[in-house]
Formats: sequence, structure tokens, C-alpha cells
Amino acid sequence: MRFAKLVLKNVLRNKLRTLLTVSSLIVSVFLIVSLATVLTEFERGSEESNPSRLMTRHSVSLAFLLPIADLQRIQSVKGVKAVMPFTWFGGIYKEEKNFFANFSADPRKLREIYPEMKMPDAEWQAFASDRMGAIVGRKLQILYGFTPGQRITLKSPIYNKDVEFVVRGVYTGGDEKTLFFSHEYLNELAPEWARDKAGLFAALANTPEDVPRIGQEVDAMFVNTDAPTKTESEREFAASFEAMTGGIKQFLYAIMAAITFSLLLVMGNTMAMTVRERTKEVGTLKAIGFKRHTIAGLFLGESILVAIVGAAIGIAGAVLIYRSIDLSLYIPNLVSFKPEPETLIGAFVLSILVGVVSVVYSTYRVTGLTIAEALRSTE
Amino acid sequence: MALPLKYNLRNLVVRKGSTLATAFTIGLTVAVFLMVMALARGIDTTLSSSGEPLNVIVVREGSTAEMNSSVSREQFNDLRYLDGVVREGDQPLATAEIITLIYKPRKGMSQGSNVTVRGVGPTSFKLHSGFHIAQGRLFQAGLTEAVVSKRISERFQGLDIGDKFRIQTTDYTVVGIFESGGKAFESEIWVDVNSLASTTNRESFSSALLRVNDANALAALSKRITDDPKLHLKALSERTFYEDQQGIASGALKYLAGFITFIMSVGAAFAGMNTMYAAVARRTQEIGTLRVLGFGRVSILIAFLLESMAVALLGVVIGILLAMPLNFVSTGTSNWNTFSEIAFNFRVTWDLMLIAFAFGAVIGFVGSLLPSIRAARLRIVQALRA
Repeated sequence: MRFAKLVLKNVLRNKLRTLLTVSSLIVSVFLIVSLATVLTEFERGSEESNPSRLMTRHSVSLAFLLPIADLQRIQSVKGVKAVMPFTWFGGIYKEEKNFFANFSADPRKLREIYPEMKMPDAEWQAFASDRMGAIVGRKLQILYGFTPGQRITLKSPIYNKDVEFVVRGVYTGGDEKTLFFSHEYLNELAPEWARDKAGLFAALANTPEDVPRIGQEVDAMFVNTDAPTKTESEREFAASFEAMTGGIKQFLYAIMAAITFSLLLVMGNTMAMTVRERTKEVGTLKAIGFKRHTIAGLFLGESILVAIVGAAIGIAGAVLIYRSIDLSLYIPNLVSFKPEPETLIGAFVLSILVGVVSVVYSTYRVTGLTIAEALRSTE
Repeated sequence: MALPLKYNLRNLVVRKGSTLATAFTIGLTVAVFLMVMALARGIDTTLSSSGEPLNVIVVREGSTAEMNSSVSREQFNDLRYLDGVVREGDQPLATAEIITLIYKPRKGMSQGSNVTVRGVGPTSFKLHSGFHIAQGRLFQAGLTEAVVSKRISERFQGLDIGDKFRIQTTDYTVVGIFESGGKAFESEIWVDVNSLASTTNRESFSSALLRVNDANALAALSKRITDDPKLHLKALSERTFYEDQQGIASGALKYLAGFITFIMSVGAAFAGMNTMYAAVARRTQEIGTLRVLGFGRVSILIAFLLESMAVALLGVVIGILLAMPLNFVSTGTSNWNTFSEIAFNFRVTWDLMLIAFAFGAVIGFVGSLLPSIRAARLRIVQALRA
């Protein structure tokens, strides 16, 4: 008890210094949590994929389209519950910076294959019965104010066309930054090279166990055609996208390491100043009978306390900020931006380690002095 | 009356541990800033240097990448003999190429990325300057041989000389490693265009490339092709074509650089403040003495500010030294326009270093302003008695 009181008194002795150190910790921890969250969000697609879903694409590249006739043959494979075309439209809303994904799909099957997308029945029906209908995710509604009944135009550089849609519903769940519209509509307006073609096929298997076999059977069916396919589980499909970010991941780790190291320097420097300034005091404490490890414990306790306070505020701040501002609205490719519990615990542990490491050397030196040396110190 | 600079420098040397720790904190901030910006620069430079200013690239109308474009053999024959295309002897400097992608795992990983395979003809080497074989030899026309760029060979599995890789159902043998002066082609594999056409059962090309004499000819020829209602093609300068691809990736990186450096600078400024407050506290008597000697408040203020700026500038130098080796590092990510790998070098350029100096100075100034004001406001009697 007396020990804890001493630690607290020491922390509050130079309030300005403690405040500055804690502030520095807060911003660093906030930054580390933010960057780590970018990393976990990169992987969310494969982490939260539906194990019964499959994606079929052209085996050479996503840029090649598949004949729409493949759909019937995929549907006929045993264990396939539903399948629909899924084509990247690449439409731009007003300006290039308003980037969001837009796909053509089958309005009737979309709901079955993507059960995580929730929308009132009336809106599903309105979507299915309007040739020009489109549905948008909740986040697109937040960003651009799309409301049911609104007419919007997307300009697609791929298809070289401006296409008008009527918003028929707003869904929640899944990727809420996507617009879906009818594949039939796309086919009507598609130029020659894209007519009766689909970019991808999305299929739902009866059970997750069927998925590998279906994949093999589908690919075997098309292997000798003009458009051989590559069918993967949704998880593998997402993972292949994630792997495309390549060096960016290691790059983020390098930045996080640099931040941690600079935090160590900040804390280490402050604690070194704090400990050295108290050299005389260490002499006094020793003279009245305090053991070396007790004094070292005081310094260690002080550093850890500062680290805990800084980390706690930084982490709480990150959680609160990212709960009120959803960064995924502004970062393309990210579906959500939520710090994971593991990230928060990791950042907390890291800060405490920094607190410990930064005080070790100066404590070792100062508490190792004899009483006479310490009392004679000019610090 | 100003205090001699020597006074500040000696003070920094006396507390060298603290000076170095603060300088390193600022240095790391600068290094992170340079790292992110160097990455963005690397992508931009690779893409913008790829296109030759006097090449016209022709793709299908609506295409944003060669990948989803097609130019038929008949169209190419028409294009070759258009006015404005430079001739060498009686042969026009024009080539048509085919692009396809193969999926390769990265070295040391099971996942990978798409690598661009470009089928090229003899004239292609005249139109893409800078191409040279670094190792091995060039493929022979008509054979299923390939040359792989050095960077791709280094980053992906099974693409060294002697290795075989598969395009559709045909095996190609790697016979050489090439370099092309840092351009986007250094992210590609090159094979003979006719071999690739038969391998992929393609009757048409992906794109055509025409050489012109000057900018006027370029504008005229591009307009002539794009406006032709029968062709359904789009022509533009090759340079613009590549520059248009840089936006997405490097734009996001620049925002990231801004966000991270802003927050790190705030942290570094707090750290600097701590050090300077400690310095002022420790030298209170000294400050009193200086005042007695006749140095005014302003001199004291300036002295402390300068001291802190010196630390900050030392920090910038450390940061630049930390970031410099990145110039020799190459990495890769996906070009989201083409869904294929683009390999590039980090580029720590002069203008980035200048920005780093400016902002190191700002951190130094902001971090020391309040402590310096405190030093300047000390009253002589109290300072001496401290």
C-alpha cells in the first residue's frame, strides 16, 4: 500500500512531464491500433467468408469474361443450390473519386446466395420487378444519400457507357459499399464483346463439404473450352485478392515497428531523466534502509503506471473514435473498420513492455551506486 | 545581444544521451514519412516513365488497360500505314502486342499474384527503349521460350533461367532475364507474339503501338484513330496511358503518409517538449547568470529555440540516413487497373528530403516554443536562487 502510494506520488511529482509523456504514448498507441486494424481489415474478406460459397472466374484473368451459357452447366453439378452471374461493371458515380464496387447479379438469386444481405421483402420484390432497378448498401446510402426511387447514373469506362438505374432498396449486412443491378439489364446495353458474358459466377453449395468437389467438377467441365475456369471457395477467392496487396503488408509492419521504437526512445529518455534527477534521493532512501530492489521497484512501478495510463487512453480513444467514425466509408477495399480485441490487447501488452524496457538501464545504474556516490551526485 | 552558437552546441554535447534520443525520435518520424512517400513515388515514377512520349498506343474504345482490349489484325494493318507513323526504310515503326496473365505464387508463400505476359514482335524492341538482356539470351521467334524481368524473377517462384511455366496448356521455357530501366515492363514476362497468339487461341492483338515524329503528329494521329467511327478504337500517348494508372494506389498512400506523419510528429513534439523543459529546469541558475551578465529575455528565447532546432535537424539527418537504403529496395503490389503485379523501387528523392527538413524544423520549433518561453520569462532573482 505504502509502495503504491509512493509510486503515485512520484508519477505526480512533475505533472507537466507526466502529461507530455502520457500524451506521446496516447498518440503512438492510437496510431499502432489504427495501422494494426488496417491489417486485420485487409484479411476480413477471407476470415468472414461463407464456407458454402464458390466463385468461378476465367482461369487466365479476371479481365476475361465467361460465356453466360456456363451458368446452366454449373447449375447442373450435383450439390449446387443456386448460381448467378456476377459481373464487375466499374461504374463511376459523378466523379472518379466516388469509387465504389458495382456488380450485375441476378436479383432473384442474390438473396439466396448472399443470405447475410438483409432488406425488407417489398424492396426485394421491387428490385426483382424493375429492369433498371438497383440496390445499394447502407454505407453507400450514408455516403451519397441514395434513397429508394432515386434515379442515378453510373459511367462505366469499361463498357464506355452512361447507364441509368433506379434505386429500389437499401440492404444491410455483407459488404455495405456495393451496388447491385440486374444482369439482364447489363446484357441489353453491353457492346458486342461483352454480350452474353459474365465476369464471375457466384454459387452456393448445399453444404460446405460439397465445395471442393464442386470446384473440381466445374473446372473439369470447361478445361478444354475457349474459356477455361478457375473455381475457388469464397475464402480462397478473397485470399487471392488479399495476396495481391503484396509488399504493402510488410511495409505496414515496418511502420509499426518504427513507431514502437520511437515510443521506446521517448519513454526511455523521459525515464532516464526522471531517474537521474533522483540520484541523491536514491542515496537517502538507501541510507534509511531501503533495499536496492525496492527502489528499483518504485521506478519500475512508475514507468509501468505511466505506460498503462497512456495505453488505456490511447486504446479507449481509438475504440471510441472508430465507433463513431467508420473509416471504411473513406478507404476503398475495406468493408469495415473495427479494431479487433486481439489488436487492443496486443497494443496494451506492447505498451507495458515499452514501459519496462525504457526504465531498466537507468534504474540499474542509479540504484547500483553506493550511498556515498549517490549522495555526492551533482544531478 | 545574441548568445554564441557554441553555447548551444556545447549544451547538446553535455546531455548527449538525451539529445540523441530526441533526435532519433524525430528521425524515426522523418524516416516513416520518407518511407511512405518513397513508396508512392516509386509507383508513380515506374508508371510515368513507362510510356514513351512519342509512342501512340491504340486500344479498344472503353478499355482502361491493355488486358481488356483487342485490336484485330485487319485493324492493325490499317493503322500501320496511316499518315504520321514513322518509317524505317519502308517498314513502319509499328508493333502489335498480346497481353495475358498467369498466376504465380510469390517466393516463400503459397499465395501469389497475376504476372503480365506480353507477346512482342521484332519492332517492339525498337519502340520500348531501355530493354536489355541481363542474363541468358532472348527468346527465338516461333519457339515457346520466354524472357523474364529481373524483378519478377526475384519475387516469384519458378521463373529462373531453365524453369518452365505454363500458359493455358503450353509450357514455356525461361531462357533469359531482362531489365528495362525501371519501367512497368520490369513487372512482365516477354514471349514471341506469334507463339502467344497460338497458345492462347487469339486471333486479335491486345494493343498496337505506333511511333510518331513529334507532339503534333501524335495529337493528329490519336484524333484520327479515336474519331474514326468504323474502327471503335482509342488512341492516346503511351505516356498518358501509363500515367492514368497511377492514381488509385499512390493516392491512398499519400493520405496514409499524411495521417501517420501528423500523429507521429505530435508524439515527437511532446517528446521534444519534455526534453527541453528538463533542460530549462536544470539550467535555471545558468539562465539567471546569463541574465545578470546582460543577455536579454529575447536572447535566451532564441538560444533555446535554436538549440531545439539543432536537435530536430540532426533528427532529420538521421531520418534521411535511415530511409536512404530504401533506394535499393524493390517491392511489389497490385496495379488495381490491370489486376496484375507491378514491381517498383522505393524512391527517396531530393524534394522529399527538403520537405523532411522543413517539417523537422517545424517539429523542433513547436516542441521548444513553450519551454523556451518559460526560460525567457524566468526572473533573475528567483532563477539565481533555484
